[in-house]
Parts: sequence; structure tokens; C-alpha cells
Amino acid sequence: MQLSKKIVVLGHFGVGKTSLIRRFVENSFSDNYKVSIGVHITKKVVEFEVEDTMSLILWDLEGTDDIKTIRDAYLLGTHGVVFVFDVTRPSTFQLLNSDLDIVKAKLPKTPLFVVGNKVDLVVVSELETLFKNNNIKTNFLTSAKTGETVEQMFLELAKLIK
Amino acid sequence: MLKKFQQEYATKNVQFILIDFDGAILESDQAFLNINTKGLLVDIHPFFECFFSIKDMLDDELIFNCVHLVVDQKEFVTDIKFLKEEEGILVIISDYTSHYVAYQAIAQTRNESIINGELITIKNAELEERERFKNIFIRNFSHELRNPLTSIISITKIISNTDLTSEQENMIQFLQESNANLKLLLDDILSISMISSGRLKLTENVFSLSQLFELIEFTYKTKAAGKGLKLEVKVDKKIPDYVEGDRLRLYQVLTNLLDNALKYTHEGKITLNVQFNQKRANKVNMRFEVLDTGIGISSDNYDAIFESFNQLNNLNDNPGSGLGLSIVKGLLNLMGSTIKLTSEMGKGSNFHFDISLKQPLQTTNPILKNKKVQKSSKIISDKKYRILLAEDDINVQTVLFKLLLNTGHFYIDLVNDGSLVMEKLINDEYDLILMDINLPNVMGDEVTRLIRDFPFKNIKKIPIIGLTGYSFEDDFASFKKAGMNAVLSKPFDDQDLIDLIFKYV
Repeated sequence: MQLSKKIVVLGHFGVGKTSLIRRFVENSFSDNYKVSIGVHITKKVVEFEVEDTMSLILWDLEGTDDIKTIRDAYLLGTHGVVFVFDVTRPSTFQLLNSDLDIVKAKLPKTPLFVVGNKVDLVVVSELETLFKNNNIKTNFLTSAKTGETVEQMFLELAKLIK
Repeated sequence: MLKKFQQEYATKNVQFILIDFDGAILESDQAFLNINTKGLLVDIHPFFECFFSIKDMLDDELIFNCVHLVVDQKEFVTDIKFLKEEEGILVIISDYTSHYVAYQAIAQTRNESIINGELITIKNAELEERERFKNIFIRNFSHELRNPLTSIISITKIISNTDLTSEQENMIQFLQESNANLKLLLDDILSISMISSGRLKLTENVFSLSQLFELIEFTYKTKAAGKGLKLEVKVDKKIPDYVEGDRLRLYQVLTNLLDNALKYTHEGKITLNVQFNQKRANKVNMRFEVLDTGIGISSDNYDAIFESFNQLNNLNDNPGSGLGLSIVKGLLNLMGSTIKLTSEMGKGSNFHFDISLKQPLQTTNPILKNKKVQKSSKIISDKKYRILLAEDDINVQTVLFKLLLNTGHFYIDLVNDGSLVMEKLINDEYDLILMDINLPNVMGDEVTRLIRDFPFKNIKKIPIIGLTGYSFEDDFASFKKAGMNAVLSKPFDDQDLIDLIFKYV
């Protein structure tokens, strides 16, 4: 039976969680913002080498401005976490470190990637100052719109949890 | 009978699936999901992959709310409950699609409005930052321009008083006109900057409207005649003589409108019409109209002409900064009024605004009428005065030396560093200090504070006139607060400086 791992994608609303998954799974993007409620689950088989594949079960969780309210049931059996914020909206990363503490408390020892999305809308060099001022450390800066580092990010996580 | 109906209706939205402990489907009532009853639970949808991680920790029951399932290309939004039974695990899937779709619509509206609000706040902050940067730039830029301009204006004046050939005289006249235009432009830029940064404050005093109109009529009749135009000032008889308001800013509004009319009118006449609208409590509401028979403005351009640096007809015969009308708009906004325009291409324009001004209870003001009398009265004296000039700009030093020495009334000592002022004052006696603000080492306002705190009366009380390239009113106020008797903005008028010196020595 094929190896199957669960990745939850979470963060504030409107940061582009659904778009990141859609870019990764279908290689498509839409500018229309549709609010996700509850959870959408999709599956993507990734191939590391010939006959070395893994099923990623991607849980796209409803965005919330209060990470504490995430339903614990959604997190059961999670192997990897992607925490997404929107680099253009400070409200989505101002409390990033305390949000991450909450996630880590809920999912101790689970690999976690911090991802700043929508980088196509900003000048990356300006972000460095912004992150430094807000004491933010990211694993990846992505753009679901252009596809920049989206696949790379999911594949890195897949390797990590393999 | 009833049971049949109950089964028909009550169970349609809830599906029961029984699986064994390895996830193989044992039974399904197929209420709304048509699944393979001989297959595996995970084959229904990737959601059920979670079964393997939860089956061992399942004690009693576990529920997942609002799970999106796509089965046979149809999407359902469901609550899914896992119940541990003796025979296996019972999976109960409740279809709440319509309920969740309604909830989604509410969440959509809420989230969109929050995000839009955030983006507007960010956009506004960016605009404010850009505006702030622009104002700081303009302020520093105009400050830097003032010193050289002061030198140019004063030296031109000094040269104009020497023996010149007629050709040189013509050139000097041209130079003086250019200087005056440059100074006006600088003043306009500063006005715009002050209005947009909110630093311009209105100063309300009682003043005579009739005197204001007389001044305008006199000035603009001459200007209009120079272009072969007529100028008429029509004032409603019900307009009171004295009102309370910012005379300077009202004058600025009217002269900007008249200058604009003059600029774009090549034949016919220009009219300033002042009408009485109404009087409520102690406030008089009036309409001011500036009408011309000029080239007119197309209605498409009505908004554009009030924006900064926007000249519709950027031709050589229409000089100016293009800031006049935007100053008018800004000043009137400050005064609680709005500039309005009607115009017809080729026939002319009518700029008008309504404004309310307080009518003072006492309608005659002797102070106002006698204001012009006291000018330069002390200059007749032969006495010579000692002045300490604290200024580091060599051009301004030269100009002031020439200007003051030419009057024959002053001895001048110079320091070019703020830290040297006190030493000079202790060793010598002075009647007045001319103090630049931007002095090296110790700023002029700081030196002034030291002087005012000095224990010896003869030093403590020396009159100080500040000279500054800054021209914002709150800068002036802070310099005066530091102890300066008066502050003069560069470039200054020679006579204004001399009058001011005589006022304090």
C-alpha cells in the first residue's frame, strides 16, 4: 500500500491557503477569492524517484484570525504543517510567533513550515526589513499566483516527513 | 404507514456505513452517497485516509464538522461521526450542504469586508507617508533656496542703485522681475505644502472688507489696464464694512482668482462681484464671484484645474506655477467653503464661492484705520547702532553688510558660529542681534534661549531678530518662544528688515 501522509495548511483567512494547494495539485490559479469553510481535503501523489512515491493528503483548513479556534479533530494524525501568512497584510503576521506557539502546542514535534505568500505583490528586499522588525522567520516565500516556490515548498515538506 | 414516510424523509440526509476494523465496508444504506458497498472506506474520498490514524485512538465516538466530500463529481458539505461498535465502526455522514452554503455566504461577506478595510488602511498609510515625505522635501528644498534667493534679490537691488547704462538697467529690471516671480513661486509651493500638511492655521482678526476691496481694485485695475482689459469691482450695499476672519487668506484667494482670470483673458473685462446672501446669528454669508471673458474651460477639466501643478494651457504666454487654483481650493476648504466653477469655452468663466464670516459687534475699529501711520519714523535719527550679525552664509553676510552699512546708521560685528555669540556679547555691547537660525554648532534659537537666561540685564534684554529660511508659522512661533523679538523669513524685503531693526533698537 502506498505511503500516505497528512499535511494541514492553516493560517488567517485570505492568505491564499486554498490557492497554494490548487497551484500545487492542479497547477492553476484564480484571482476570485472564495472563503473556505470547514475543511477541504485533496490528494496528490508525489514521486521522489522511480517507484518511490508518496500520497500527500492535503487538509485545507478554514482560515481564522484566532488560531486557538481550530478544531482539534482536524489535526489528528497530522504529519506536517504549513502555516501561511499574507506578506501584504500585517494583520496576518503581526502575531505570527504567538500563533506558531499555539500550533506547536497542539502539534508538538510535527514538522512545520512558515510560508509568506503573495510575494509577487511586494519588493522582496523590503520584506527583509519588515520581517526583521517583526522578528519573523520564514521557511519559504511563495506566490500561488506565479507559482514561485510553491511546488518546492510542498516537496521539501514531503521529504522531511517521509 | 407513518414509519414508511418517516424512513422516506427522515433518513435522506444521513448515511450510515458500517466498516470493519481494517476499513472495509460491510454495509451502507446509500441514503445520499452512492458508494461501492464492497470496497474500502478510503476509496470514497481522501478524507477517509484519516481513518487509519484515528482507529486506534477511537474510544467511543469522534466527529468531524464541515467536511467537504466530492463523490461522483457532486460536492457535499457534511458532518462525519465515527462510532466504535462491537461489530466494527459505524460511520454516520450527515449532509448539511444547504446550511453550510448559507454560512459560507455570510463568512464571504465578513472576510471580504475585513480584508478590504485592511487594504484601504494600508493604502492610506502609504499615501500619508508619501505626502509626508513630499512635504518634508518641499520644506527643506525651499529652505535651501531661500538663502541664495535672498542674496540674488538684495544684490540686484544694490546694483540697481548704482550708475547703469540703459541696457544694463533693462537687464536689471528683467532680473528683478524674474526674482519676484521666483519668490512668488517659492511662496506658492510653500502655501500648497502647508495646506496639504495641515500646518496652515487661519488667523482671525477684525478687518475692513471695504479697504480690502479698495486695495484689490487699485492693484488689479492697473494690472488689467496693462493688458488692455477692464476691471470692475461690484460690492452689494448690504455687505458689512467690518468682519472677522483671516484677511490675508481671503486676499490670497481673491488675488489668485483674479490673477488666473487675467492670465486667460485677452479681451473684454474681469469682474469681482460680492453679493450678500444672508445673515444668521452674528454671521454674514456672502458670495464672491470672479467673472472673466476669457478662453473658458471645458467641463471635462473642471476638476483637473484645481489639482497641483496643472496648467491646461501650458503656453509661453501663460506663466505661473499652476498652483494658484489649488491654493484657492485648499484655503477655501480651510475656511469651510468650496470653490465652484461654471464656464463656457470661448466665452469666459465664473469662479465663485460662498463664505460665512463673523460680524463683530463693534463695527468701527480705530486701530485698523491708523495702522498705516507708523512707518520708518525712527530712521530720521542720526544715532548709530551696534549690531551683531550671527550668520554663516557668506552671501547673506555680504548682502546684509552692504544693506546695513549703506544706511549709515549701523556698526556691524560678525560671528559665523552659534557657539561664539555669547563670548561676543560678554566682551562688547550691542543694540541688537540679527540671528540666523541654522547656525553651526549651536542653533540660533538655542543661542537665544541662553541669552534670555543670562543673569546680566544688558545682555538678557538685547533685542534679537531671527532670520530663517523656514517659513512655517509654527516654526516662527517656536523661535519667538525661544525669546526672539521678531522673525523674518528669507528672502526678506530690505525695507522690512530696516523697519524692524528700527522698531527694536
